[in-house]
Amino acid sequence: MRGDHASTEKTGPSPDKNGQGTIHYSDDPRDAGWVRQNIPCQTACPAGTNVPAYIRAIADGRHGEAYEINREANVLPGVLGRICSRPCESACRHGWAGNGDPVGICNLKRSAADMKDARHRITERLYAPTGKRVAVVGAGPAGVAAAYDLSLLGHDVVIFEREEKPGGMLRYGIPEFRLPRPLLEIELHNALRLGVQLRTGVTVGAGKGATRVSTLLSDFDAVLLATGCMAPVHLPLRGLPDGTDLSQHCQDVEYGLGFLVDLHRGQNKRVGRRVAVVGAGFTALDCARVAKRLGGQEVTIHLRTSEEYIPVTSEELFETKREGIRIKGLRTPVALRTDENGRLIGVEFVQNRLGGWRDNGRRLAAPIEGSEFVEECDTLIIAIGQRTVNDFLDMRVEVGRSGNVRIAENGMTSVHGLFAAGDYVGGASTAIEAIGHARQIADKIDTWLVGRKRRRVVSMEPVAAPLRQPAHDFIPRQHMPTIPLPERHQLTREVECGYNQNLASEEAKRCYLCDLRYQINVDRCIYCRACIEVAPRNCIKLVHSVEIREDGTHGPLQETKEWQKVAAIWIDNNECIRCGACFKVCPVACISITRNHFVTVDG
Amino acid sequence: MNASASLATAPRRYVIIGNGVAGNQAAELLRERDPECQVTIITNSRLLFYNRYLLPQLFKGHQSWHAFLANPPEYYVNKRIKVLRDCRVVGVDTRNKQVKLAHNEPVSYDALLVATGGRGHLPEELVECRHLFHHFGTYEAALAMRKALPEKGTVVMLGGDMIGLDLARTLLSIECRVVLVTHESTFWPHQLAPGERADALAALEKMGIELIDGDARGGVTSVEAGAPGLPGRRVIFRQGGDVYGDVVMPFYGLTPLVEFMVGSGTDIERGLLVNTGLRTSDPHVYAAGDVCQIWSEQDHAYRFYYGYKNVRAMGAVAAINMTGGHEHFATTQEETLGRDGQGHIDSPFWAYE
Repeated sequence: MRGDHASTEKTGPSPDKNGQGTIHYSDDPRDAGWVRQNIPCQTACPAGTNVPAYIRAIADGRHGEAYEINREANVLPGVLGRICSRPCESACRHGWAGNGDPVGICNLKRSAADMKDARHRITERLYAPTGKRVAVVGAGPAGVAAAYDLSLLGHDVVIFEREEKPGGMLRYGIPEFRLPRPLLEIELHNALRLGVQLRTGVTVGAGKGATRVSTLLSDFDAVLLATGCMAPVHLPLRGLPDGTDLSQHCQDVEYGLGFLVDLHRGQNKRVGRRVAVVGAGFTALDCARVAKRLGGQEVTIHLRTSEEYIPVTSEELFETKREGIRIKGLRTPVALRTDENGRLIGVEFVQNRLGGWRDNGRRLAAPIEGSEFVEECDTLIIAIGQRTVNDFLDMRVEVGRSGNVRIAENGMTSVHGLFAAGDYVGGASTAIEAIGHARQIADKIDTWLVGRKRRRVVSMEPVAAPLRQPAHDFIPRQHMPTIPLPERHQLTREVECGYNQNLASEEAKRCYLCDLRYQINVDRCIYCRACIEVAPRNCIKLVHSVEIREDGTHGPLQETKEWQKVAAIWIDNNECIRCGACFKVCPVACISITRNHFVTVDG
Repeated sequence: MNASASLATAPRRYVIIGNGVAGNQAAELLRERDPECQVTIITNSRLLFYNRYLLPQLFKGHQSWHAFLANPPEYYVNKRIKVLRDCRVVGVDTRNKQVKLAHNEPVSYDALLVATGGRGHLPEELVECRHLFHHFGTYEAALAMRKALPEKGTVVMLGGDMIGLDLARTLLSIECRVVLVTHESTFWPHQLAPGERADALAALEKMGIELIDGDARGGVTSVEAGAPGLPGRRVIFRQGGDVYGDVVMPFYGLTPLVEFMVGSGTDIERGLLVNTGLRTSDPHVYAAGDVCQIWSEQDHAYRFYYGYKNVRAMGAVAAINMTGGHEHFATTQEETLGRDGQGHIDSPFWAYE
């Protein structure tokens, strides 16, 4: 039994699939706290992907199973295996100081999708039909993820999408050299084929010929808005009113998302010889790489802060630079320079200092008075972010200060039956964040529609023997193979090649398998210290006390060297590399191993 | 003596990461200004501080590494400067004021000086070929390059910064062939106007360096191992054509060695950002030498200052300020690319004491 939507009647022991013991289900907060505290990758994943489980499956060559484990949390594993922002890798214990590089979790996710059998059978855990109808507005990652979950839960779902094809930002905002469209088509198809009706080319809005949200509310039991953030954040420039659409002001200026959307709608895009891209996210990097492929000779990304603080993966940054794109930091554009014909000839910047920190953890930059300078360019692409628009609503919906719609604890907006999910609620984020949020809202819609409540418990499955070897610690991170630079002139040629079987297997072995919980049964322990003697690190500790917090996590271990004060022999999971040396040496078999993960159960 | 009094009189712990000109200058001054303090230099080199400016002399008769040492080993004993050699720094925990080494040893500090300098910059598009390059940044690298180069062999230099051109002078003097593939980094760190650059390139040809206009060839796209019977390396140009050499050396300027500082909370752009007192955004962390970008009121920008004089001065300023001083760094380095009596280029960045 694993994964979300697993259906167990009650919490308690049950035989495991191999008959080698019993699986226990625990609703003890300390067990939930252990999982949250000790599986940092899964905790960091907005969708809650069970990372150690799928990596272990890859290590065993069970790629189809690895794909299915992924798909329980994220319905587009092959897609996210290519374009995910990888919050899991930032949290990975293998990347902590002194432990080396984080595991290539995202690359492994892709390898599960790439290497599963061609006739792989997808498993769906369908609930009985409820007779309820839900309209989803927007077929981007949030809309598709929510529609998929709602259809699994037995609801009839209709998606309304303005564009001709589904996918939203995935299809229109991400270049094909990062995300091949055939793969996107397959995974979208798999997500929607449970009976979701997809109506593309349908505009939901207040204008003439558009389908109104109020009409959807009367025709459906619930409506979910998942329209994302499709409007550009404007760049304030000297001498121009705030909110000026610079793409209308100068023909050589474009907004990043508009530039990519136009391209993927099939427009013939052109750039000048010298291209300046302003922005620091994946969209800015994508625009620069597209501009290079469109013939830009000197493509430069200009940052307000510096490379250290931009929210992209180091791999994307590296590939961007490898393609000859320059990155220059500590500057903010303040004015456009145009010639007598209104054509762009340069951008005036002001030099910045690094400032404090924003609430969202991003770094601030402070302009330095009198430090203006000009960089010559022929095309300017502004990719400093996107925002939501609400003008398509034909009713008053409460919004917050940022202009994003407000939702209550149950996921509903201020309008009865109208829900919202993804970037449309939280502002521009990443595909995995949108998917994670959409799944939570889908669950809340289900609860609202049929009163079905679910809760998360911890599944604790006995493991007979250690699964990892100390030698695995010496395997370096396996790098993603890419196509040679001379072959990177096509917009549609995928740059990353994917791991082969050997690379995937080697990388999978690196995972510490943090879901494995090693515990010492103090009642059986004879205090021989053999486990401490063989421990490769300071991972087994004599503890006299430890604070258990309200959320079930624990505070710092209070260690002692005096035997009479020892209350527990504690395996410190921050240090444990799951090598199993302690397990093997124990003369009285008082060390147990269990595999721990959350499952969602009804009731 | 009670515990707090003991703490108050505990010798200050100064830790210096980097064993070059700036680091050693700072160590010397720290000892002078605070005789009771602990000074620790951490270096990933197996050698004590040696003079990198002398490395081209490896081609003029074999010299033992002892000849390159700037100070004899006793110097460190006498000065009570502890040198942790062959140690790689993997991180700095500024909250707990600890330097973390790759073998998990923490080194605590009261004040830290980062003086790691820079490594030869390799453009990202050539990273995949890195195993085919020879370098000249360290004694070991220089030895390996000398071993790979046959008598009167051919060296293909990519870029051609002033470190490379210094080596080129030596190679020409021992009758090696030097082919330079020009790049915008040629003559780095000198900033030359187009006319000056053309004159300087002509001077290089006069010196005997063969020039290939890298821009006209679309730049270097890759480097391959040479086929049997041909020289060891083949440099391939984006717009067609190639050139062979026994060794290929990238000289594209320097990249500050700051990776281990990422995540430490100190401000970084390309290098560690410091004020003119060489203090970073963390009050207990200073930086000196090629690793730091210093705010210039004159240029309204953060900039690097290269050259022996600058680096040595930075080490001194940092040490003074780490021990309570209030010095400001100001460059005294001449930066104009000149000519010698024969019309050959002559750079102030080649000068050392």
